[in-house]
Amino acid sequence: MPVTMPRMGNIHIPFKALFEGLGIDYIMPPPNTQRTMTLGTKHSPEGLCIPFKMTLGNLIEALELGADKLLVPGGYGICRLGYYFKTQAQILQDIGYSFEMIPVGVSERKFLGIMEIVRRLSNNAPWAKIVSSFRFGIAKMNALDNVERKVHRVRPVEAVRGTANRIYARAVAAIDRAPDYRGLKTAVSGSLAELDGVARNEARPMVVGITGEFYVVLEPFSNLDVENELGKLGVEVRRSTFISEWMKFSLFLNPLGINEKKRVQRAAAPYLNRDIGGDGWESVGEKVLHAGKYDGIVHLAPFTCMPEIIAQNIMPHTEEQIPVLTILCDEQLAKPGMLTRLEAFVDLLERKRRVAAGTAKAN
Amino acid sequence: MVKVGIPRAMLYYQYYPMWQSFFRGLGAEVVVSGETNHTILVKGAARVVPDTCLPVKAFLGHVIALAAKCDYIFIPTVRSIQPKVYNCSKFLGLTDMTRMVIPESPPILDIEIDLNRGQRRLYRDIYRLGQRFTANPFKIKRAALAAWETHCLYRQLMAEHRQTPAEMMAVLFDGEKAPSPAPEPACARTLIALVGHPYLTNDRYLSHRLLERLRAAGCTVLTPEMLTGAQLKQGLEESIGQGYWTYEDEVVGAAGYYLQSGVDGIISLQAFGCGPDSLMTDTAQRQAKKLGTTPFLSLVVDEHTAESGLVTRLEAFLDMVHIRKRERQPLCR
Repeated sequence: MPVTMPRMGNIHIPFKALFEGLGIDYIMPPPNTQRTMTLGTKHSPEGLCIPFKMTLGNLIEALELGADKLLVPGGYGICRLGYYFKTQAQILQDIGYSFEMIPVGVSERKFLGIMEIVRRLSNNAPWAKIVSSFRFGIAKMNALDNVERKVHRVRPVEAVRGTANRIYARAVAAIDRAPDYRGLKTAVSGSLAELDGVARNEARPMVVGITGEFYVVLEPFSNLDVENELGKLGVEVRRSTFISEWMKFSLFLNPLGINEKKRVQRAAAPYLNRDIGGDGWESVGEKVLHAGKYDGIVHLAPFTCMPEIIAQNIMPHTEEQIPVLTILCDEQLAKPGMLTRLEAFVDLLERKRRVAAGTAKAN
Repeated sequence: MVKVGIPRAMLYYQYYPMWQSFFRGLGAEVVVSGETNHTILVKGAARVVPDTCLPVKAFLGHVIALAAKCDYIFIPTVRSIQPKVYNCSKFLGLTDMTRMVIPESPPILDIEIDLNRGQRRLYRDIYRLGQRFTANPFKIKRAALAAWETHCLYRQLMAEHRQTPAEMMAVLFDGEKAPSPAPEPACARTLIALVGHPYLTNDRYLSHRLLERLRAAGCTVLTPEMLTGAQLKQGLEESIGQGYWTYEDEVVGAAGYYLQSGVDGIISLQAFGCGPDSLMTDTAQRQAKKLGTTPFLSLVVDEHTAESGLVTRLEAFLDMVHIRKRERQPLCR
């Protein structure tokens, strides 16, 4: 009775560690490919957003491999995400699969909910074992995000294009393989040292913030690897959304009353003063916060995403000004079109920087 | 007298009698924008990104039309009217978005309705809204209670008389005679259930006069407003169990109920890019397919929808419904 779950960025690696630690039988969906997208799109209602279609594709590919317990997000008061599992269950049943759907709360009972589910899946393993496997999973997640942060900095200034990506791919594989904390530590420190040692050019890179909807920001396949493409254009990307951060806050700190998003939400308040579900509030807030600090912002949103449409409508009207490029992600998004837009955007940022430097000199 | 503007869009069809009664009770004058037309839609659409949904574009157009005619515009934020059931982001962000994209709009009267935060908070918010007009707390309370009674009466009358919101408002406000309670429709009539949100099905421009077209074709049209809350809930529970969206009963609930009650066909009307409806219409459609008893037509509209295309599909659907009806009910011919 193998368990599976949809993919999103590197989230399958820590979950693999958790399942392996507890001896839970699992099958991870194969990496996202055009086939995943095609399968998902074919069986989804057309007006749905790309995270729904991609995750449905993942579930189908995992079911094909023999998985029959599906770990999926669920909840209420967020956006369509909370309803995904009901429609996905109907679709998969209509295709003819038999399975058990296990919704994991993303709006309430996050920590205890997931703990109980893990305990049930592991045939009532002792709590001590669950907690230690869970901790190891989180350690892997932190390790992955630390390496990724470093890659964001090195990619735009590397002397030979592609060096950072190669190191990153090796690091991800090494972290995935690491059997214990010691192996993990060696893998991380080795990769970080390797990244530090990469030959760099002298350029002062543009800094672009990445903001928008959680899934399309975190899943490179859905945004056509926009961070990598920006890096190739010599742009350093900064983003505040990382799975490890999200896990840390939503599982442990939010229940204690610590809200990491307070600052962003306060920044958005003059323009949008309430939660509108999804990440719309934060998108507006990040624009306000980053104005003047970054050169520009790339705002990623799935096509027909309700919260991000509201954010997109409000963003041009804020007093704090910074260039924003909104990229809508769906199954129709094509690389050449996106690259042209990115190049034009980066040209604009460079020109802006030159003009600013020119006026500074003239003064 | 202070003039409060209410756009004839979005939640207008569900709640206008209640709002009107409330503001009049507070001594304000209520101004409503005209029916949606091309100009209103185009003006509204020009202010927002293209993928904003059709009803929101129309709503903004109505606000622009009202801007010079009133002192305040009333845009409530309806977050939740049932425990653990929340509304679409477009409703939640409507107030803030209108404020940002229509800077010339008069001050916006805003009230956040969220029953999950408790009744006390709701009463406090209603009181605060009323304070803008009068300092007399009893007057606010009287106005609020009268408004609630009006709303209950409005809902009850619509269900009893099988009337659409526009027809019922004509009875309530223009002194037109209320029709006698509708008799059970004769089986010779073709019964068509039109499910969808009232701001689409009742807007003659956005829906391309779908309701009139169906009636002109000799059908008796049933809409979600013609059902009681309990009937809608029953339909919802049979289809999907616990609801997720605030206005889910208008689509899934109504479709679920009408599927069971035996209509000749169901037509669902949806705006392109509607987030909740992308899931809800799918659920309703799957339910209809599973039962296999009732033909189901799903119409999606946006500002590019050509009327002739819509009419052709409608005619083909009605032909099919009529043929089925003739074959199945020879006694009723």
